[in-house]
Amino acid sequence: MAITDPAANKSLGEKLQSVPKPVLYLVLFMLAAIPLFFPVKLPNKPIDASVEMFTNVMALPEGSTVLVESDWTNSTRGESMGEMEALLRILMRKKVKFVVYTIADPQAPQVSRDTIRKIADEEAKAGRYRYKPFEDYLVLGYYPNGEGTASAINNKFVSIVSGKKDWPENSAPRDVSLSPVLKGIKSVADFKYLIVVTASSTTNTVLERITKVPMMFMVTGVMVPETTTYYASGQIKGFCGGVKGVYDLETLMENGLNVEGPNKIVSEKSTEVIPGFPGMQNTGKGMAYYPSLHFALFLLILAVVTGNVGMFLAKRKGA
Amino acid sequence: MELLAQLAPKTFWNAQNGSGELFIKIILGLLVSTGIVVALFKTPNQLRRWVITAVTFFSGLFYVLFWIYPTPINRQPDEAPRNVLEGFSFWLSDAQPVVADLTNIIAAFLIGLGIYSLLRVHLGRIGKQQRDWQFSVVLIAGMVIMVIFGYVDWYMRLDPANAKMAGSGYVGWTFWQFGRDLLFNGLLQNMDAGMFSIVAFYILSAAYRAFRARSVEATILLVTALIVMLSLMGLIEYFWAQGVDGMHLSNNFKLDNVARWLRANVQTPAIRGIDFGVGIGLLSMGVRLWLNLEKTGGSN
Repeated sequence: MAITDPAANKSLGEKLQSVPKPVLYLVLFMLAAIPLFFPVKLPNKPIDASVEMFTNVMALPEGSTVLVESDWTNSTRGESMGEMEALLRILMRKKVKFVVYTIADPQAPQVSRDTIRKIADEEAKAGRYRYKPFEDYLVLGYYPNGEGTASAINNKFVSIVSGKKDWPENSAPRDVSLSPVLKGIKSVADFKYLIVVTASSTTNTVLERITKVPMMFMVTGVMVPETTTYYASGQIKGFCGGVKGVYDLETLMENGLNVEGPNKIVSEKSTEVIPGFPGMQNTGKGMAYYPSLHFALFLLILAVVTGNVGMFLAKRKGA
Repeated sequence: MELLAQLAPKTFWNAQNGSGELFIKIILGLLVSTGIVVALFKTPNQLRRWVITAVTFFSGLFYVLFWIYPTPINRQPDEAPRNVLEGFSFWLSDAQPVVADLTNIIAAFLIGLGIYSLLRVHLGRIGKQQRDWQFSVVLIAGMVIMVIFGYVDWYMRLDPANAKMAGSGYVGWTFWQFGRDLLFNGLLQNMDAGMFSIVAFYILSAAYRAFRARSVEATILLVTALIVMLSLMGLIEYFWAQGVDGMHLSNNFKLDNVARWLRANVQTPAIRGIDFGVGIGLLSMGVRLWLNLEKTGGSN
C-alpha cells in the first residue's frame, strides 16, 4: 500500500493556515536578532505622551529633586532599562537630584543601582559631571507593602526615609536624612515629579494614593492602553511606553523639539523650542531594539494576514 | 546645614538604626508575635474565627476611616487640635505611617513564609526521591548559595574598612563580591530576561492560529489591531504620511492620526468601562472580606 504525504493533499488555504511552529519561531528569532547586529536609524514620530514627558523633564530646573519609583527588574529590561537609562541621562545632564524607591520587587533596588552607576560612568567618560551616590541621588530600597507605603509617602514622606541608610561613595552606609539630596524636602509635594518606572500595576497603587505631586509614568508596551486612560484624563503629565516610547525619548534628546533642521520634530502638544542634547550619547536601548520590534510586528501582521487569507481560501473551496 | 527638613520625632515606635535598643525591640517583637501565633494555634476553632474576624475588621476600619474622615489641611508640625473631631483627624494622620511600617513588616514576613513553604515541599521531595527530585536539589542549592553570597557581600560592605567595595567598577572586590555579581547579574538576571522573552514566541504562534476574522466583531478587532500595530512601525508610518501629506482632508487619514483617534475614542472609553467594572467588583469583594462575609478560599 502506497503511503501518501498528508501535506501533499492539502489545499493552498489549508497550507497557509498550518505553517509549522518551528518555522514561525525561527523566522521571529532571525527577524528579532539580526537587526541587533546592524543598527539602523528608522524614521520616528514621537507620540504626544512622550513629547509631553520630554518637555516636562527638560523643564526641570538645575538642583531640583524628583522622586523615582523603580519597579522593574531584568525580565523587562528591553523596555524598562531603556526607559530608566533615557530618564537618567536627562536628569544627570540637567543636574537634577533624585530619590529612588521600590514597592514591587526586592531585586529592583540593586538593578536600579547598577543602571544608575552605568549611566554615571558613561557621563563621566564623556567628560561630564559624575553623579555620586548619597550626594546626588539616594536609593531607599524596597518596601514590601506598596499600598501602605504609597499612603505614607503622601501623608508623611519623612516617615518612609526615617531610619533608612544608603552608601555614599567609598564610605560606610549613612543615614539618608544626612544626604544633601533631601535638603529642604518636607513632604512629597517638595519633589517636582514622581516618575514611576514600572512593569507592573504599581501605577494604580500610586495613582490611587499619591495626590500631592504631579506624576509621569514609564511603562512596558502592554501597559500602554491602560496608561493612556490616565494620560487622557490629565492624571499623569506624560508617559513613555515600551520600546517605542524609549525610541521617542532618544529621538527627542537627539533632535530636540521644534528645532529647525532636516530632522525637525514638531508636535501639537508644544510649540516651545527645546534643543535636546545634540552631539551627546543619546541613543541606547531604544535605537538598538526599535528595528527588532519593527520586524517582529511586521512578522506578526504577516502571520495574521496569512492565516486569514488561508481561512478565506479554504472556505471558498469548501463552499 | 539644613538637610532633611523634618526628621521623624523619636517615639516608642522607632529607634536608632543599628542601636542595641532597636535589636532588643526586634527580639521582643519576634517573641510577642511568636506568642500570638502559638496562642492562636491553641485557641479553639470557633474562637479563633472571631479573633481573625475582629483583627480583619479593625485593620480595615483604620484605612476606611483614614480615607473617608476629613484630613488636616496645611497642618503645621507643632499645631495642636482645636477639638475632639480635629484631634481624631490628627491621630489618624499620625498613626498611618506607623500602620504602614507594621504592614511592611507583615508583608516582609511573607518572604519567610515563602522560604518555609519552598523548603518543606522540596526537601520532602528530595527525602522521598520523588520524580524530578534532582531539580529540587538545584533549586535548594541555588537559593542557599545566593543567600550566602548576598549576605556575606552585604555584611562586608557595612565595614568602613571595605568602603571601596561600594564604589563603581571592581575596586576592592573580593571573592564574595565577584561571586555575588556572577550569581545575581550574570545568572539570575539573564535567566529572568530570557524567560520573559519566550513570551514573544507564544504571542506570535497564538496570534497566527487564533486571530481570525470569523465574525463582524472579530473583523473590527482585527482591523483596529492591525492599524495600531502599523502605527508603531515608524517606517510604515513615514511612507503612509508621505502619501497623504499636504491634502487637508486626507491628513485625517495619516496613520498616526487614525491610531490616535482609535486610542482616544475607542480604546480609552472601553478600558475606562472595564476599569469601572473591575473597581466596583474589587470594592464589593473588599467589603465582603472586611466584614467577613466572604467564605470561599479559606481553610475552613
